Amino acid sequence: MFSRLKFLWRNLVHRREAEADLAAEIRSYRDLLEDENTAAGMDLPAARRAALIELGGAAQIQEEVRDVQLGVMFGQIAAEIRQSLRGLRRNPGLTILGASMLALGMGASTAVFSIFQSALLQPLPFRDPHRLVQISETRLARGLNRTSMSEANFWDLRAQNHSFQEVAASHDDQVTLAGMGPAEKLDIEAVTAAYFRTLGVSPVIGRDFANGEDQGSDPNWWNGATVAILGNRFWKTRFSGDPAVLGKTLRLNDKPYTIVGVMPPGEPLLDQPVYIPFGNRPGTERGSWEFFVTGRLKPGIAMEAARGDLAHIAATLGHDYPGADQGIGFRIDPSSEWIAGDATRRALWVLLGAVTFLMLIASLNVANLLLARGTARRREIAVRTALGAGRARLVRFVMMESLILSGLGAVLGVGIAYAAVETMKAMNVTGVPRLSGAGLNPWVLGFTTALALATGLLSGIAPALQAPTGRVAGALREGDRQTGGGTGARLRTLLMTGEVALSFLLLVGAGLLIRSFSHLMTADRGFQTEHRLLFSVSMPGSYAGNGTGKQLIDRILDRLRALPQVAAAGSVGVRPMAPSDPGMSIDSNGRGNGSGANAPPWAGWRIATPGYFRAAGLPLLRGREFDATDKPVWAVRGQPEPQRHVVLSTRLAGILFPNADPIGQHVTLWKGQSNRDADVVGVVGDSLERGLAELPALTVYIPYGANALTSEFLVETRGNPLSLAGSVRSLIAELDPNVPIADLSTFEQVATQSVAPQKWNAVLLGVFSGLALLLATAGIYGVLSYSTSRRTPEIGLRVALGASGADILRMTVAQGLRPALAGIALGALGAWWLTRYLTNLLFEVKPFDFSTYLAVAGMLLATAIAASYVPGRRAMRIDPAIALRLE
Amino acid sequence: MSNTALLQGTLDVLILKALALEPMHGLAISRRIEQVTKGTFQVKAGSLFPALHRMEQAGWLASEWGESENRRRARYYRLTAPGRRQFKQEAAQWARIAAAMSNALDTI
Repeated sequence: MFSRLKFLWRNLVHRREAEADLAAEIRSYRDLLEDENTAAGMDLPAARRAALIELGGAAQIQEEVRDVQLGVMFGQIAAEIRQSLRGLRRNPGLTILGASMLALGMGASTAVFSIFQSALLQPLPFRDPHRLVQISETRLARGLNRTSMSEANFWDLRAQNHSFQEVAASHDDQVTLAGMGPAEKLDIEAVTAAYFRTLGVSPVIGRDFANGEDQGSDPNWWNGATVAILGNRFWKTRFSGDPAVLGKTLRLNDKPYTIVGVMPPGEPLLDQPVYIPFGNRPGTERGSWEFFVTGRLKPGIAMEAARGDLAHIAATLGHDYPGADQGIGFRIDPSSEWIAGDATRRALWVLLGAVTFLMLIASLNVANLLLARGTARRREIAVRTALGAGRARLVRFVMMESLILSGLGAVLGVGIAYAAVETMKAMNVTGVPRLSGAGLNPWVLGFTTALALATGLLSGIAPALQAPTGRVAGALREGDRQTGGGTGARLRTLLMTGEVALSFLLLVGAGLLIRSFSHLMTADRGFQTEHRLLFSVSMPGSYAGNGTGKQLIDRILDRLRALPQVAAAGSVGVRPMAPSDPGMSIDSNGRGNGSGANAPPWAGWRIATPGYFRAAGLPLLRGREFDATDKPVWAVRGQPEPQRHVVLSTRLAGILFPNADPIGQHVTLWKGQSNRDADVVGVVGDSLERGLAELPALTVYIPYGANALTSEFLVETRGNPLSLAGSVRSLIAELDPNVPIADLSTFEQVATQSVAPQKWNAVLLGVFSGLALLLATAGIYGVLSYSTSRRTPEIGLRVALGASGADILRMTVAQGLRPALAGIALGALGAWWLTRYLTNLLFEVKPFDFSTYLAVAGMLLATAIAASYVPGRRAMRIDPAIALRLE
Repeated sequence: MSNTALLQGTLDVLILKALALEPMHGLAISRRIEQVTKGTFQVKAGSLFPALHRMEQAGWLASEWGESENRRRARYYRLTAPGRRQFKQEAAQWARIAAAMSNALDTI
């Protein structure tokens, strides 16, 4: 060990001495040989000659000793880096082209990886996230494989389970915040007291909710509590991160809440502005599924064991409550799936795969550039070989250049990635989980570095293999210019084929997603979304009891309808195509025993005002709309049960009354729970109530009233809907300055928003495949122009022998087309194999969509022809007299 | 047999063997190996020098400038204590391999 260090020191620090010593040693060896020869009777010149022959080249020996000398490599590498840099400076065209192609690839890869890392690899901001799970209800017999949990079932599950250290429930709600500027609508989350302890997160300042603090007597379930915890972002933006916020009061729906703590940042799971505790109350609902339930497994309890435990509880509940809990089951999902669901996960993997292909194309292009240059550099390499550079040294030397290029590309690429991710953040892209956390962290930079190394090696392999070693004398004699052909040309053709094949894969992927997206956008929505304005008005809870709310709704609608730009106006309880979807079991009388295939269907319910169907563009197919005579389905306290009227969507009416006219028939609402009877008065068209990517919904509409308020207003406008925004705002402010207006947008925007993830997949894959096409075009063009210029003498000869310009053009184009065709065939095969992974991202498009494949093949073929045409034209103009003189 | 390629590792053990008797300069080592292998192995300077430097760096050999019998300046190599241990080890290993090989070839 010590001896090695000594030599390392000598070789690095006293390099010159070590070199002189070595030279002297070799000289002495030669002298000794000479002495030997003279002693054997040779005369001096002959002895010297013989000695030189036996010794071999002194320079090569020195070089070989250097190869074994410790530390010498560092110096050599430094020299090679300098030489490579000089070489790259001398060829600015190649350097800029190569580095920018790699920068595009690395920029795209780094951007996608930073999103991928943030969404899928970054751990949750909670203690022991592997013990954290989500628990949902299922009703498999009715095709419901994941629903929120009902309040009563949650408390039963919490009391009866043996697997969880703690379970907690949470529920999103909206309240009106007053006392901090104008009244505004605020998202809050009502949570059980142990919520944060279950997640495994503690407040940054203040304290957590204490057990028992969630108890309240108010029938409005979150109204019993008097304390609140703030989310980090809300604290930062509204209280500028002031620790003195503790003890202050928030007025939510006209009730005071004392702020007791602030949560750390933890988007997207801890990003609500305000958290309020709620507790167990007797007589809570078992039929309305509204609670998101999280559980923390006891240490050492496997997820499978917990599943068994819950299955047991489900069986008990199903037995004890045959109405609401018939066929109930529980499902457990690990917390690793909270951030990104299956579809998002799949989409991110697909994007990562896409950028890998893009990166491969860029590397192939750079390999091609370097190959072309390597051919031109044969002489230089031959000289190095003659001077004793071994194969390993040559390979290292050639690779150095590709490594430096990819290093340059990486630096530029990181810049591109930064700009891309920041742009996405600035555009407020939705559907990309934890986008705000994506950025250039050490993970991402490490990835880029590894990518740069891999790319450098990959694009350096072909040129390095091509470096001539054996035929030094030939290479030296041949000079710089020789005809095309040989392994170099074959290798370049192979790389070209690869590029086309990879581009084909990307283009097919993008084509399928774009077709899916256009299907989504053009599918019949049921609604008319054009020329429609949508906005929410949130009223304090007190407006429901005394009729103020209904009056306000009526006055808003009257005032809206009086505006000349308004064609129709109506209001509904839940924003169409938004995530929220309250539902119920609904049944018609006499539909069998109500189990199995005859189980009552599950339908979304929506409170609607008269005029809503017209405003939403839902066609009335039978019966009548709601009018002023229809009353809410809920009885007012102290009054007799109302005569209930409902309107059904077409498919729901067909399921409930397959053989009869539904008008005038009876249905049972909330079957298995409150079992309210109602009469069907109308049937309207089906709609994509749950978003463009979902199936048409089954919907039952119920009338609004004093105790059934709506919050979403839909207005059909004449002309641009957004031009009405100002009038709407002032109109509401005039009517009641205390109710905030929120989420004002066109219906079209809301519809598009419901497929934002699909849109982003299509856009990103489209961009990547566009880049791939660009790179492949540059690659084909580059290879052909290079090989045409190398073949100038040959082409000159052909022309001299009588080939016409058209022949030459045909020859060049054919040279480009052959690898393109091979690439297309390979790409089609690969796409056929790989697109199966796209299946669940597609909508009404088969993975093997013939027209997409055909279009992509056509596009690539046209590109290949165009890219070969230009060099072909140049070849046509070659003057044989000049070309042949170059020989 | 003059062109027999040196098996990997053979050169090292031959150099160690040559130097086991006395310190020598490069040419003498080369001649000694030729002599003891009856000309089977001819060590070229291009293989000898890298091997000598590698072994010196490994600490098996030490070297210094000296004067040859015909009064030429030459670099003399000698075995160090680790070199001697290395030689014993490698010689024993070679003996085993050689015995095994000839045994195997005889029985076939």
